[in-house]
Parts: sequence; C-alpha cells; structure tokens
Amino acid sequence: MELSFNLIAQQLVTGLALGSIYVLVGVGLSLVFGLLTIVNFAHGAFFMVGAYVGVFVFAKTGNFWICMVAVPLITGAIGMLVERFLVRPLYGRGIDYPLLLTFGLAYVMMDLTRMAFGVQGEPFEAPEALQGAVDIGIGMFPLYRLFLIAVTSVILFALWLFLEKTRFGLIVRAGARDPLVLRVLGINVSTVWLTIFGVGTGIAGLAGLLAAPMRGVSPEMGVPILIEAFVITVVGGMGSLGGAIAAGLLVGVVVSFTTLFRPELAEFSMFALMAIALIFKPNGLFGRKGLMG
Amino acid sequence: MTNTAILSTRHVTKKFGGFTANRDVSVDFHRGKLTSIIGPNGAGKSTFFNMVSGSFKPTSGEILFDGKSVGGLKQHEFAKIGISKSFQITNLFPALTVLENVRVAVQCLQSVYNIWTPRSRHAEWVEKAELLLELVGLQDRRNDLAENLAHGEQRCLEIAVALACDPQLLLLDEPTAGMSPEETRVIMNLILKLLEHRTIGLVEHKMKLIMGVSDSIIVLHQGQLLMQGTPDEVKNNDEVKRVYLGKGNH
Amino acid sequence: MKTKNTFQSPVLALLAKQPALAVMALLAVFPLIFPFHSLAINILLFGLFAAGYNLTFGYTGKLSFGHAAFFGGGAYGCGILISQYAIAWPLALCFGVVLAGLLALLMGLLAMRTRGIYFAMVTLALAQCVYFLFFQVNSLTGGDNGLRGVNVNTVNFGSLKLDLLNPLVKYYFMLAFVAIAIWLINRILNSAFGSILEALRENEHRARACGINVEGTRLLSLVISGMVCGLAGALNAINLSTVSIDSLSYQTSGQVMMMTLLGGMGTFFGPFLGAGIFLGIEHVVTGITERWQLIVGVIFIILVLFFPKGIWGTALARYKK
Repeated sequence: MELSFNLIAQQLVTGLALGSIYVLVGVGLSLVFGLLTIVNFAHGAFFMVGAYVGVFVFAKTGNFWICMVAVPLITGAIGMLVERFLVRPLYGRGIDYPLLLTFGLAYVMMDLTRMAFGVQGEPFEAPEALQGAVDIGIGMFPLYRLFLIAVTSVILFALWLFLEKTRFGLIVRAGARDPLVLRVLGINVSTVWLTIFGVGTGIAGLAGLLAAPMRGVSPEMGVPILIEAFVITVVGGMGSLGGAIAAGLLVGVVVSFTTLFRPELAEFSMFALMAIALIFKPNGLFGRKGLMG
Repeated sequence: MTNTAILSTRHVTKKFGGFTANRDVSVDFHRGKLTSIIGPNGAGKSTFFNMVSGSFKPTSGEILFDGKSVGGLKQHEFAKIGISKSFQITNLFPALTVLENVRVAVQCLQSVYNIWTPRSRHAEWVEKAELLLELVGLQDRRNDLAENLAHGEQRCLEIAVALACDPQLLLLDEPTAGMSPEETRVIMNLILKLLEHRTIGLVEHKMKLIMGVSDSIIVLHQGQLLMQGTPDEVKNNDEVKRVYLGKGNH
Repeated sequence: MKTKNTFQSPVLALLAKQPALAVMALLAVFPLIFPFHSLAINILLFGLFAAGYNLTFGYTGKLSFGHAAFFGGGAYGCGILISQYAIAWPLALCFGVVLAGLLALLMGLLAMRTRGIYFAMVTLALAQCVYFLFFQVNSLTGGDNGLRGVNVNTVNFGSLKLDLLNPLVKYYFMLAFVAIAIWLINRILNSAFGSILEALRENEHRARACGINVEGTRLLSLVISGMVCGLAGALNAINLSTVSIDSLSYQTSGQVMMMTLLGGMGTFFGPFLGAGIFLGIEHVVTGITERWQLIVGVIFIILVLFFPKGIWGTALARYKK
C-alpha cells in the first residue's frame, strides 16, 4: 500500500473526527465524575437516546440544525429527571450504588427505545449541506468529518468559557476540587449537581446525534461507546477534562490508523492502548489533579 | 548524635501539587526516648507524622530507620520493619470484636495468605492479643464490638492494635484527643509504661502534658522546623514563644 | 462471627448458623421438590457463578463488571479441549478452572493498580477485550456461532456408569463439584486469610497500617473468585454441550451481578437464592414478552434503591438483632 501524504491526511481527519465523538462522550463522563464522583454506566444509553431524539425531531422538522439544539436540551432534561429521582437518593451510600443503578437504567433505556422505535437499527442521513467533500487546500476531505471536528471544538470552547468565565463555572470547579466547599459557602449543592448531570448527559446525547450519520442509529449503539468512553477515561485520567480531550483524540487517531494497516486489530488497538496506560501510568495521562487538569 | 537516633529525617519535603506542606525538615527520634511534635494549626504536623509513619512518601529528602532508608516503602511494609502508628481519628475495625481487632493485627505479620489453615488453629495469636488487651485494660471488653466502645476505650484499643506488631517505634497521633482529664492520665501512664521498651513519637496539643513527659520536642511552624530540643530549651526559646506558646495555649 | 438469631423456622436458623452445610443440604434436596430439572441445573451452576462473584464484591468490596471473562474463559477452556482435542473431561475441567484463574490474575494485575472507582470500568473494558480475542480466534472457538460438540454423555467411575443425558443424574454429578467448591470457599473464609479479608472489608486504612498488603490480598481473592466462576463455566459447557460467545459478554457480567445483589452480597446463601429467583423470573417472563432487559433493569433499580442488602441479606440483618 502506498503511503501518500493524502492517505495519511485522510486517515488523520477520520481519526480526529472519530476522536471528536470520543472526546464529547468522555468529557460528559468526566464532568459528572469530577463533580459528583459518579461513574454513569448509562452514559452510553444517553448517547443512544440522543441519536433517537434526533431521529424523532428530524422526522418532525426535517431540519438538522434544530436537532442540534433540541437533542442536548431534551437529553439533558431526561438526565436531570434521572438525577433527581433515581440517583439523588443514593448519595452518601457509597460509590458503588450509583454505578449499579445506572447499569440497570441502561437496560431500561435500551428496551424502552426498542419499544418506541423498533429493534432494527436504521441509517441517518447527514443534512445535504454537510454531505460530500470539500477542498481545504491540501486535498479533498469529507465535509461532515470536518464539520464534526469544528463543532466539537466550538462545544469545547463553550464549555471552557462556561467553566472558566462564569460564576456558575467557578462553583463547579471549586466543587470538583472539594465538595465540602460548596456546602460551607451555602450554595445549593443539589442544584449544581442536577445541572452538571444534565450538561454531561446532554453532551452525550449531542454526540449521539453527531455520530448518527457516521454510524447509523440502533438501540445497541450505546454499548460500544460506553466501553470506548471507559478506555478513554483510563488513558486520559478520570475527572480530567484535558485528559478526556487528549485521550479521545489519541484513541480516535490510533484506531483510525490501525484500521488502515490492520483492520482486524482496530478494536484491539484501543484495548492495547489502555493496557499500556494501566501498566505505565495507572492514573492516566493527566492523573487526578481536579477537573481542569 | 545520629547513632542514638532510631529514626532520622534529613531535609524532608512534601509537596501536594503547588502546595508545600513540609519543607526541609531534619529531626531525630532518639532511641528509648519520647519525642513530641507540636506546632500551631497548619504547621504541617499531620503531614510530617504521616510521612514518618509511611502514609505519604516524601517529595524529597531521606527518612532513615536504623540507618536504612525507608521513605520509599509502601505503607504496609512499615509495620513489618517495626514502625507502627495510631490514627488521629479513631481507626479500628468497627464490626469486629475488641479481641479480634487485636488478634488480626497480631496475625498480619505472621500470615496473610494462608487460605487453608483455620484461624482458630493458631492459639498463640489469641494469647498475644489477650496480653495486649490486659496491658491497655480492655480485657473485660474482649467480646464487645469495637464500634460499641466508649471513645476513651476506643483510643486504648487503637494503641493495643498499634502494639500488635511489636514496634520499635510507636507513633501516636493525638492519643488523648477528646478525653477527660482522668482518661488522659490513664493513657499517659500507659504510654510511659510502653516507653520502657520502645521509642515513642507523639503528636499532641496539650502543652502541660507535653512539657511533662517529653524527652525531646519538635516544633513545626508553617511546614518548617522551628527547633528541636528539650522541654526547657523549647520553653525558653524566643521564637517559639512568639509564634506558639505566647498564644495562650494551655 | 456468631450470630444470635431468632429465626422461627429451623431451616432458616441452620442457614444462618452453618451456611455452607445448610446450602449443600438444600441443594441436595432441591431437585426432589422442584420438577424442572434442567432449570435446576442452571440454578445450581449460576448459583456457583454468583458465589464466585460474591468473593470479589461481597467480601472485598470491589465492584467488578468483568466476571463474564472468567465464566466464559472456563467454559471455552474446558469446551475446546473436549470438543476440539478429545481430552478427557476431568482434565478439561481442570484446564478451564486454571485458565479462568490465569485470566483473573492478568486482569487483577492490570486493574489493581488503579484507584477504587476505576476498577469497575477497567474490568468491563478488559472483559470486552477477552470477548474480542475469543471472538477473533474463531477456528478454535467458533466465533459468533459458538463452540459445539462438548459432549460428555456418560461418565464412568469404575463400575459405576452415570448417564448424563438424564437431567437428574446430571444435576447430582454437577452437585458433587459444586459441593466441593462450596466446602473450599467455606474453608478459605474461615482460614487465616479469611480474617484478613474481613479486616480489609472493615477498614482498608487500618488494615494497611497493620501490615496487610491490600493489593496482594485483593489479587488473591480475585484469582480464587475467578477460579470458582471458571468452574461454573466449565461445568456449564458440559451441561449445554455448547459454549456461546455470549458467555463472555457484559450482559453475563451484569446477570451475575444482579443475582448476587438480589440474593444478598457477603452471604453464603444469597448467591444461590439470587440465582434461583433470577432464573425463575426469566423462565416465566420470557414466555410472555421479549422485553426481558426492561424487567431486569427495573428490578435492578428497585433493588439498589430499596433493598441493597438483597433478600437474604435483609432477612439476616433483621434477625441478627
């Protein structure tokens, strides 16, 4: 196989696009863990629900852009309901219980989706405006993948602004470092946690919508993404947003290039990366230095 | 001077991220003596205590026990080499009986991985545990659950558990915290009795107590060593007076 | 630990005081009162699987989402030797158990170095890795189609000939191994190591300060746990004469977790009770609807919210006063 610059560049873009999905999913997971110390085992299910909400809204409006706004809002709202009524009663009971509960919740969400939309998966067409390829100077690249990378960058920037520049973001960061701080300052912790859970699941849902044109939509689509999110978290470091970003992109690129040279090992490459991380840097690339590490 | 020291720290520093909890602390714990660590809140006593007892690794500097460097050892290896600690907040096995608390501590150094022999086969562990309970005066409570003991009794049990590994250096973190004057006297008598056979390191706030029993006092302030000396030297040191004693602590 | 109990029923009292003996006795009479013998064998083997899982979660407090790797590893280890290499079943069983133990050792070494909450995620991901590996080597494992031809139809013990095609005979054959496993688990829990496990469960910091190598202890208990689960898997391979790739899936890990939680973690009887109830409900529900995951999920959520001790665990706690 000839290794041309173009081929490498194509795979790089594919890898970054794939990595962008991973980043979004990983960031949502890390956000919830960093502040609530909960590993949300239903995170993949929210990813899936987001995609299906997109299917529903798109069927009603025919407009992808409306979907991009509606999906995170609706998915986040579902997330907040879950936090308020299912997860909140478990605080103080030990870190295992929310894990177990969200594990069961994922099963419920998958079957409810099957009941609403059928057990078969379906494809999801990218909007016409984003189809095809475009010339960015160094060659022709699929427009949708470039769009993905761009949108993810925008979302990350918005998240950064939110965390660094707003008062609420300051509260989130302080609470991530030391949950007691919030109580001492008289801030309503429940509202903060509710919001963050909503934001985390909302981002996951949006990622599901964005991934749909590339992967299609099916009730099981959340399962592999959950595994991938865990791999990224192990590699990047739990509770670290910077780690989620770096690891997400790294895993995306590694998987993409492995697909090029040895497609049967593509899935395995991700696990190999995780094993290496576990052996040499068990706390991840960025360890646990708080949420902004 | 150093060959009478069972444990020495040389330029020990501990950083947590950007925050330096201890900087350049060099002190000695002399054999068979009682050394106290004092300092105002935030002085870095806990951090320092945790380093010499194995809970933290120093960021830099050496900790020498019997001439060997131990700063890099894991926590569970400290008990094996002869350094044992009690915790500031009572740290026992709550749902186990008083006897079992001490017995399992005795067993730890003898056998951890034996999956075959029934635990009841080793009567000598029970005997040693009984002796330790007698030493701290808890023999009558042997079948009660640790979580049901009164606070003072729990602190005594804490010491018995720490003694189970026959330590040469016993480190006690505020053993009399939350105790009445009567209970305090009982504990201090126990500690002095223990001193006959081993070296003791103590973190405490009760000034009169410390001045009365210590052979040597380490004064920490803002993470650094202010001085180490006899009670008289410490009492008469101007800087110590200014920084600490002058604040009207009992 | 002695329990003061005020159980009215002598059966329950025996279960509380001498759990291992009582469970073995109960399992011995079970098929005599329960007419569905094939289902009984399932309950027996998944009960053993849950008992093995219990060693990790119930006794060391580490939540693992990857135990399917040990169950499936044991199943494939035993099954491949019998169906592909015509090796005698005793040796194949041993091989399955040892293979599962090795997988547990490997997983433990990789996962132990991570902080507490990572363990669940890492075990899930590592188990998926094992799933993927076994799936890929489809010349040996049959890949998606599973492994067939694990045929052990008659067993000869000297002059005694056991016809394993008879479910009742098969049950008692399997029970022999399960009983040995229960006896071993009981012995381990009552051993010197057992008291170390208790101390570790009570207070990890104190245990460390006393000189207990926490990681080593957890690793050993994970390997033992893996071997018990591997035995369950190996026996199941012989039971079904096939091994499905699903035995390595995260759904299988989830199932055993649910059974253990349902019955009661950290108890002897709990895992078997949980397996019985879970499989019983599955038997009934799958006759009515395909939405099995929905039912499982809802039961799980209710358990976690309201009955975290499980059925037997709650009963024990209430009567321990």
